[in-house]
Amino acid sequence: MKMLNPGVVLSMNQLKETNHLHFSQKQKSKTKQISRWYLFLFLAFAFLLLAAPFHLFANQNQVSSTDYPNHQQLGQQLQALSRSHSALARVQSLAKTEGGKDIWLLTIGTGDIDNKPALAIVGGVMGDHLLGTELAMQFAGKILASSAEENVRNLLDSVSFYIFPDMSPDAREQYFRTPRYERLGNANPTDLDRDGRIGEDGYDDLNSDGLITMMRVKDPTGEWIKHPDDERVMVKARREKGEIGEYLLFSEGIDNDKDGQFNEDGEEGVFFNRNFTFKYPVFQRGAGEHAVSEVETRAIADFLYDAKNVFAVISFGEANNLTKPLSYSEREANARLHTGWKKEDIAINQKISHLYNKHLEGAAPEAKAGSDGDFFQWAYFHYGRFSFSTQGWQVPKPESAEKDEYNSAELSFLRWAEENQLENVFVPWTPVDHPDFPGRLVEVGGVAPFVMKNPPYQMVDAIAEKHTAFILDVARLRPQIDIVNLKTEKLGRDLTRVTLDVLNRGTFPTASETGELVRWMQKTVMQVNLGPDQAIISGKPVEVMGAIGGRSSEQRSWLIQGRGNVTIRVGAEASGFKEVTVNL
Amino acid sequence: MKRILIILAFFAFFKPAVAQEADGRAIGNFFKASGTPANPKVQISWNRYYTNEGLLDIYRQLERAHPNLVKLQSIGKSYEGKDLWLLTVTNHNNKPHQEKPAFWVDGNIHANEIQTAEVSVYTAWYLAENYGNNTFITQLLDDKVFYILPVMNPDGREYYMNQPNTTSSPRSGTMPLDDDGDGLKGEDGFDDLNGDGHITQMRRRNPYGNWRSDPNDPRRMVQAPPGEFGEWELLGWEGIDRDGDGRLNEDRDVGYYDHNRDWGWNWQPDYVQRGAYLYPFSLPETRAVRDFVLAHPNIAGSITHHNTGGMLLRGPGAAEDAKYYLPQDIRVYDALGELGERIIPGYDYLIVHKDLYTVYGGQIDWFHMMRGVFTFTSEMFSRYYLFNEKPQGWGWGFAEDYFTFDRYLLFEDAFVPWEDYDHPQFGKIQIGGFKKNYIRNNPGFLLEQELHRLTAFTLFHAYHTPKLEIVELTTNDLGGGLREVVAVVANTRLIPTHAGIDLQFNIERPNYISLEGANVLAGMRVIDRDLNVVEEQKVNPAVIEVDNIPGISTVTVKWIVEGRGTIAVKVDSAKGGVVILTEDE
Repeated sequence: MKMLNPGVVLSMNQLKETNHLHFSQKQKSKTKQISRWYLFLFLAFAFLLLAAPFHLFANQNQVSSTDYPNHQQLGQQLQALSRSHSALARVQSLAKTEGGKDIWLLTIGTGDIDNKPALAIVGGVMGDHLLGTELAMQFAGKILASSAEENVRNLLDSVSFYIFPDMSPDAREQYFRTPRYERLGNANPTDLDRDGRIGEDGYDDLNSDGLITMMRVKDPTGEWIKHPDDERVMVKARREKGEIGEYLLFSEGIDNDKDGQFNEDGEEGVFFNRNFTFKYPVFQRGAGEHAVSEVETRAIADFLYDAKNVFAVISFGEANNLTKPLSYSEREANARLHTGWKKEDIAINQKISHLYNKHLEGAAPEAKAGSDGDFFQWAYFHYGRFSFSTQGWQVPKPESAEKDEYNSAELSFLRWAEENQLENVFVPWTPVDHPDFPGRLVEVGGVAPFVMKNPPYQMVDAIAEKHTAFILDVARLRPQIDIVNLKTEKLGRDLTRVTLDVLNRGTFPTASETGELVRWMQKTVMQVNLGPDQAIISGKPVEVMGAIGGRSSEQRSWLIQGRGNVTIRVGAEASGFKEVTVNL
Repeated sequence: MKRILIILAFFAFFKPAVAQEADGRAIGNFFKASGTPANPKVQISWNRYYTNEGLLDIYRQLERAHPNLVKLQSIGKSYEGKDLWLLTVTNHNNKPHQEKPAFWVDGNIHANEIQTAEVSVYTAWYLAENYGNNTFITQLLDDKVFYILPVMNPDGREYYMNQPNTTSSPRSGTMPLDDDGDGLKGEDGFDDLNGDGHITQMRRRNPYGNWRSDPNDPRRMVQAPPGEFGEWELLGWEGIDRDGDGRLNEDRDVGYYDHNRDWGWNWQPDYVQRGAYLYPFSLPETRAVRDFVLAHPNIAGSITHHNTGGMLLRGPGAAEDAKYYLPQDIRVYDALGELGERIIPGYDYLIVHKDLYTVYGGQIDWFHMMRGVFTFTSEMFSRYYLFNEKPQGWGWGFAEDYFTFDRYLLFEDAFVPWEDYDHPQFGKIQIGGFKKNYIRNNPGFLLEQELHRLTAFTLFHAYHTPKLEIVELTTNDLGGGLREVVAVVANTRLIPTHAGIDLQFNIERPNYISLEGANVLAGMRVIDRDLNVVEEQKVNPAVIEVDNIPGISTVTVKWIVEGRGTIAVKVDSAKGGVVILTEDE
């Protein structure tokens, strides 16, 4: 399929320009507009200096940059991190996508990494969410940079981190390609509109600016009008208030296959965040041939199912159960195909949400339920782990947009962008000749792609600081199995009663309630290893135990005949192991 | 229903005859039994089972003997790296098989259900040996192609045959898994204590037990009458508690997982659907089939063979999916299913979720609902065949008729006599019971008949995949240099080119009916030819897109063209094949 109409092919110079085009804050300060932002930053930094065990400027691994890194740069950053912290970090490619890109995994930890409680951190859940990748990367960079500090070092000795910075590399790369557009699908050729033809109607960069924006067509059958307060913004006419539509509105492009729809089947393929097994959105756009049909989804599912030690997954995507915890529905939680979180798991969600809001200090983006076939819900319902997701950031709503009767997100964004002096965030509407609308007024323009979903790169560091501190606090709440109150009672003639409590010192239970159901979530196993000439008179030599709640314990006792030492081992990869030796 | 069966009979038998194999006199040393080749090129005994190697030998013989009809390929590798052998059976000389409507057959997805491979091979063999001798078969292989995968789970087949097992184990392949959740894989499986290759029962004399020997057949255990003690206690399948967890055989050497819960429609995890593995097509065997099926959109019908119970099953596996079997498709299933009940006595035509149990992620659901393929599951062999009587209930393994049949027809070949054994945990016990090749697998002399009947059902199902014919091609001069071309395309079989769910979700591309040889100015689908109700296709009018050509029906298209010259109409249908008709001038 052709992305560019032959009439508007870009020159090499234009290509070069557009490749370097990025939105950024103006460098020179203008006191009035900026002071509020700087005050915010200052407060955020001040908080972090107090709250976090490391500080912003200790991060020497951060490649200094003015824009989000592309796939190649991301790979270089990962290699640099693993080189400079070879004792703590290891980078590997789990798979190559259809587009030839690596699915990177960065493992951080010490010692027997795969047998310690672990957190999985996942970015690139949405291909247009550059921030998610950056938050995962900066988390890695920041904890490695501060790994010399004792409390971070101690944490790294007892928790492992599996960091998947970019699960949608084919799609994310569209930010660095021409034309730039917000893309979710990978490079697997896909018939998105299910008409039997693959990729026959993609976007077309009609105004040759390297960006795919919107296209408005003056038309008395249209539903759209210009926003009365800002003519750049298109809003739906409120017919109940007597407003009359004047424009048709489409994404920028030509109806290449003449089916009456614009850009409905472009180059992009399957969406990472629509390709998982929980409530798989069969036959829906971007869902793929079937659940987990793609290299990307298989790579992470295969890895995680093997990673018995993961107790929670934190992903950066479209869902958000951190700003507000999910609510409990008895019906949904207990149905045969349960679609609601179990009661005890909601209680944990509440604790973690509280922690998130403490770190985000009012800048937490809005709560949002998961979507069918997404990663966030898969991680809880099918992988059985605690799953937390956030967008990381949203466009703050400035006061000047609060009274907007149309409640336009674009208007709000443009006001905020003005206050922060962001450049290159809007493409002015300009007329173009359009083959599908000969002789009609067709204008191309609108908010630039990516800028409403991703903050200017310069703002990311502060956001990453907060999220890093938050994740480290989550890690501190990990399940931790221990054996306490070990007691031996001699009953005479080499018969001993051994009693102990298995204690979970962590806040997280040893398994979520859903995890208890999942076959691939390792249960806590208690094993008694007898020496020669010893026998168990009562009690189980091997026991597969139910989950032990946060700060809860279970007592067990055995009658053992014989002399000498008996070892008792209890635990699971996700909550750690503890072994004691008992002298009979 | 009757009407459909009559139509079915009409199209089945009114065909021009081909040269028949001489059957009025002996051929060499043989005299033909009706319906079976007297002296086939490939001689196969249909009263025993074949190992993977034995089957491969048959495939190679078939390919050598019938090079224009049978082609062998491997479509992938199993977990252990064994080839997944597929036979493509058609007349390879008349047109590419990709352009013919196809029928998919598979067997042995479940390890222990071994006769399902033999029935698949019988189908291939019967087709190849009868081509050119039998009119129906000849026409069938000229029109259609069969993709036959006799063994989807070769690891399991071999493991079932060569390792100690019961009639029900294993269902899975040979990947070890942690079945009991203790962190170890396969640490407490069966133990073949008496070393006979069968896992049978363990019993112990106990005056306080609940079981007695049946006075009519002391091999058989019967429950003591209410209020009385028996003489035996039953201790379960042959085994030892190897890991000391107080349970027997709870984590077998090969893990419990089910290839038939690993498909891409309404997949659910193990805690909802026991046997599901990680996600759809997470097993190499099902993935290979998926790849092949996706690459062969001409597959329009299929059967997947299982045992046991004597059933022809259609989907859906879960009640909530019943809405995706649309009434027009159910009529087709019913016609075929009722024919199956007639030609395979002892079989019932049933619906999985309604008559059996709920299945999520099952194979037939993926075939029907995500590929729009009309699909049955067979469940071969049942207690019915012991004495051709409908039994009451299942009576699994201890029912009297299994013993009677074994005594009078198999001369006690199916039973391992009870013998003393010194068990490390239970002390003095006895081991005995039915062998693994009884109960579920057909006894030898009952095998060939069922292979044939089920093959016959398969062939009629395949026969009713779409057959498209251009039954009319008319041109009219409209004056002023314009001509009108009308083409009528018939589907002369029961199965439509697009199932209802296919139309609902655009699973497969539409049928393309195209005109070649003239400059097309306009094209349209004709809704009512008499009253001239048409639907114009404005874009690319030379290739008219038709959503569906239903079974036993026609569609009409019309073009307005300029210029002279010989025209040709081509019908290109994913499931209906490619047909071309050139106007004779």
